[in-house]
Formats: sequence, C-alpha cells, structure tokens
Amino acid sequence: MNITPQGEPESSPETLVRITGMGKNYGDLIAVRDVTFSIRKGEILGVIGPNGAGKTTLLECVAGVQPAAAGNVTFGDSSGNGQARSSFLFYIPDGIAPWPHQSVRWAIDFAVGFFGGRRDLLSEVTHELHLAPLLGKTVASLSKGQRKRLLLAIALLAPQPVVLIDEPFEGLDLRQGRELEATLRKHVFAGKTLVLSIHQITVAARICDRFVLLSDGKLVAEGTREELFQAASCRPGHAPLRDFEEVFLALT
Amino acid sequence: MRSLDRAWIRLLRKEWRELLASRAWWVFLFLMGPLVGVSFISAVRTYAEASGWGGTSAGVGEAFSPLVGIWAPTFSACEIGAAFLLPFVAIRLVSGDRQSGALKLELQHPMSALARMAAKALVLFAGWFITLSAAAMAVALWLSYGGSLYWPELVTVVLGHLLNAGLVIALGVAAASVAENPSTAAILTLAVTVGTWIIGFIAAVHGGVWERAVDYTPTAMVAQFQHGLVRLDVVLIALILIVAGLGLGGIWMRLGVAVRRRVCESMALGAVTVAAIFVCKFARASWDMSENRMNSFSQADERVLQQIRHPLKIEAHLAPEDPRRTDLEHRVFSKLRRTLPEVEIRYVSATSVGLFEQTNPHYGEICYRLGGRSRISRATSQEAVLATIYELAGLPPPGEGSEDIFRGHPLAVPPKGAAVVFYLAWPAVVAALGRLG
Repeated sequence: MNITPQGEPESSPETLVRITGMGKNYGDLIAVRDVTFSIRKGEILGVIGPNGAGKTTLLECVAGVQPAAAGNVTFGDSSGNGQARSSFLFYIPDGIAPWPHQSVRWAIDFAVGFFGGRRDLLSEVTHELHLAPLLGKTVASLSKGQRKRLLLAIALLAPQPVVLIDEPFEGLDLRQGRELEATLRKHVFAGKTLVLSIHQITVAARICDRFVLLSDGKLVAEGTREELFQAASCRPGHAPLRDFEEVFLALT
Repeated sequence: MRSLDRAWIRLLRKEWRELLASRAWWVFLFLMGPLVGVSFISAVRTYAEASGWGGTSAGVGEAFSPLVGIWAPTFSACEIGAAFLLPFVAIRLVSGDRQSGALKLELQHPMSALARMAAKALVLFAGWFITLSAAAMAVALWLSYGGSLYWPELVTVVLGHLLNAGLVIALGVAAASVAENPSTAAILTLAVTVGTWIIGFIAAVHGGVWERAVDYTPTAMVAQFQHGLVRLDVVLIALILIVAGLGLGGIWMRLGVAVRRRVCESMALGAVTVAAIFVCKFARASWDMSENRMNSFSQADERVLQQIRHPLKIEAHLAPEDPRRTDLEHRVFSKLRRTLPEVEIRYVSATSVGLFEQTNPHYGEICYRLGGRSRISRATSQEAVLATIYELAGLPPPGEGSEDIFRGHPLAVPPKGAAVVFYLAWPAVVAALGRLG
C-alpha cells in the first residue's frame, strides 16, 4: 500500500527525489502544509488537487524558485543544495512568456545553450510540438497555447533528469493535448521523469503513473490510480466510485 | 567551470539583446542627441562671444578654458540623461525578466547572483557608452572648429560621468530587484536621486556633517570631475557604492531565498559598505587634471607650502550661506587640503545665514594657528590667506613670474553645423537604427 497522507517518506530504490515536510505560508495563509512525497525514476507523477490546493506553490518550493518555510528536498544521496537541485530538477512555470521580444528560435537556442540542454533532440522536439512555423515569431506575439508549446520544448530539451511542469495542458486544444500526452510518454520512455501539476482530472488519470493529491495545502493521498481508488473506497459513507473524478471528489 | 563561463557569455549576449529590444534605451539614445546639442551649441556660442565673436571686445575670453566653457556644460546633458533616463533602462532590464517569468527559468542555472548582476551591469554600461557617442560628436565638432582639447581633462570629465552612470545603474538595479513592480522601483530610484539633492540643500543651509556628506552625492561628485579634480576618496566611495548596489540587486534577485535571510544579508552588506566608506574617507590623494590648474595653487606656492612641517589649524567664523564662506572653501581651503599634509579647518557659526551674527564682533574672522603662533584675519582672497600662512610659518612668499601662466584658448567661432547634426541627423539615424533593431 502506497497511500501515505502526511506519513513518513517512503523509501524506494527507484526514488530520485524525496520531498519531506514541505511547508509554505504567505503571511497568515498556509499554502502548503507538511507535504511529504517522492519522485521515482521514469514515472509521470501528477500533482493534482482543486484550485488553491497549493500545487504551483509546492512545485516552486521543490524547484527552489520560491523559498519554503519548512521541509527538505533530497536528490538520491545528496541534500537539496542549489548545485544538486539544478543538476536534478528543471521547472517550467505556468503562464510565463520568457524573453518576450526575442524570437521563438532564439528562445529555444538560448535555453538549450544556457542550461546545457539536449541539442541533439532539437529538431525532434520542434517537430513534435509543431513549433517550426513559429520559429520566426516573437514570444510576445504567440497565443497562450503556442507559448505553452514553446515552454514544453524548453522542458523536454532540458538536461536535467526530472522536469516539473506546471499545467502542461493549459491552453492546448484537444488534439494538441492528446499529441502532447504521447510526446511526454515518449520522453519518459527515453529516460525523463516528469512531475506535472494538472487540474484536469481526466487528463491526469490518462497520463500519470502516480499521483500526489493535495487539498488545502495538505497531502491527501499519494499513489497509483488503483491505490487512490482503494483509498477513496475505504472512506465511510461514499457510494461506489465510477471514475477517477469521483475518486478525486471523494478524497478532497 | 568552462560550462559556467560559456553560460555567462550566453547570458551576457541575452542581456545585450534585451537592451536592444528595450524601448527605454532607444528613447534614451534618441534624446541624448538633442540634449547634448542644446548644451553644446549654447556653450560654444557663449565661448565664442566671450572670445570676441559678434562685437565683444577681443581679449575677454583670455584664460578661458574649454573644460569649464565647453565640456562641463556639454556633458551636463549626460548628467540629466543619467538622472532621468538611465534609471528606467536599468529597471527595465532587471524587472523585464521578473515580469516575463524569464527570471524563474534563469535562476535554475547554478550561476551566482553576482555573475548575473555583472552581466546586466556590463551591458548597461555598454548601453550608456553608446549614448555617450552624442558627446563624442560634440568633441569632434569642437576639434573641427579648431578648438583646443586637453585630453586629460576631457578623460576626467568622462570618468566622473562614468562613475555617476555606475551609481545610477547600481541604484536602478538594486531598486528593481528589491521592488516587485517596476513603477515602485522607478519611484524608489527617483526618491534616492531627489534625496541626494535635498542633502545638497540641507548642506548649503546647515553646513557641518551635511557639508562633508554632500561631497559624495552624485551631483557634487560630477561637479568635481567637471572641474578636472580627481579625488581618490570620491572614486573609491563611488566604486564601493556601485558594488554595494549591484550586490544588493544580486541578493534580492534570488527569489528562492527566504526574505528574512535576504534582509540579513542586505544589512550585513550595508554594514560592510558603511565601514568601507569610512575607511576610504581617509584616502587623501587627489589629482588636478585641469590644464589651468584650477584646483591647485601655483607650483611656486605649493613648493613653499610643502615646507610647512607643523599642523595648521584654521577656524573660520562664517555661516554656511555666507557667500564669503563658499568662496573661501572653493578657492582656497579645498586647495589647502590638497597641498598640506596636516590641516584642520573648522567653521564656526550660530545661524545658517549669518545675517544677525554680523553684529557679533568675531563674525567674519578667520583664525590661523601654526606651530604655537596665531593670526586673525578677515580676508578671504587666495593671496591674502596664503600671505597670512607664510607669515605664520615664517616663510618668504614665492617670487612672481617664475612659471608659465595659463593664457586660455579663446575661440571666436559659432557652432556651425551642430544644429543639423544634433537635431536632425542624430534623431534620424537613431530612429532608423531603432526600426532596424
């Protein structure tokens, strides 16, 4: 059984990153409260939860772009210092338009060069994300979905083994979303580990191998789809669960 | 290590592209031409009139130096640009990353905050140097008119403006890093700039510690360089403030570090800065780079003064707003401080204006003490003060005519073609380049 709400970190030989007791507050508001979970090698881990559950804050604290009030991030055997973090993790925030006055071609080239990314995958990722027609456009002129595809390209070209992406499907249409699922899975097969913050539960249920379910900043459950089903079924007073959305509603 | 170097070069290139994409910088560049033009044209015209052009009697412009007549007013346009335009360029370069979200990506590279700041500062300095090409055109025009150019004093003026630009860049970068919003950063920067002007105003009224502090404000610092004076303490303090500003920017740029820790680091940086400034105030070396030695006594006087072995103490009973005090300070005491190794000058006054102190029988007196002897005088001219000091020291005054006298470089030529260059050609070229960029 892998359901560990507020429990001890589970140790596994496949564990790449372990997050222990992560906490963050904005003044009186507690955004993330004592969250503990692990990221395993070669998985797609979905961080799911209702709006305001603390998904983005949690990812930003894990990535180190926001200071955490409490908690530890350990990478294999090393502690979460800046050097270890930057060699293990790469985080793509949602809703950003980096280097808005530069072209998409330049932005990708800069990201690959600056972070030491996978130049060998450049044409493949550009093709997978249909970025070729956008290469000459400036980042500021892109639509929301196009900007998201640019950010995903930067994520997939990053050299780090673990990539955290905040709302990867935001702004994409149904076809693009489906294609992205396949692309992400392909890169996971090739060795990447992905942590995706997703608010569309049906999409998350389709693509993620395991889930970290947050509600009100607290970890409600961690585990595979089946394990979450089981945990929700055990709750007293709940009708039989038909799909993952009902599991989500039962647990949050 | 090599990959870090390569990443830094990439970051530097990126900052350069961001500068070129910045409308604030293009506006700065565009306006510098007309700004320099107005100052240069009016300075050359005044210089020409003083040199006998347009009916003024010839000879008035004798002993007229291009440093004060041309370069100080022409480069004052750079000071205006640095105070009101450059901060926005610096803020745009820092806040832009924050607002677009690029900072959250870039911060994931293990590069130090100082290296990131260095890249931004270098690009901003380069951007400022390009805007300086308007002043370089003024130099070229001046030479084409047959004007005299004494390179050491021009380099000194440029150095003063470079340090001033550095201070503005550091301030803008620090404000943009500390404040989340660029408009807050702009308000902060302008508040500090206006604050230094207020210090100047208070110093003029109250004197004392304010008078000593005002020497290190950007306006006073630039004024010293515009008079061809390079003071080591001023240069060092400006450099310390530049490094401190960039350091503060580096501290607050690290979004992933707890605010409490950043506050502690800022306080530590502030303490180190204050200590370093205190130490630097003891640096007394200075160099008069002006062709006419406007910040020094004559070489003959300096030779005599250097024979004085005892400490000289001067007590001047003059209020801060008394014009005699300003005259005495600028024409005599500042030179004495540069020449004598041990001189202590103290001003005594009960009020800021001295208006009602005139009835005090001691008001206006200047008391000199040297080697157990003392003299009291009311004279404020350089000749009279030096005569009193020589008498106290028991030294003979130097003979006259023993050295070359600066005759000046009068030039009775109007600013031909300058209006076309600065008001038409410059804006057209900048606008064309901006469109290409």
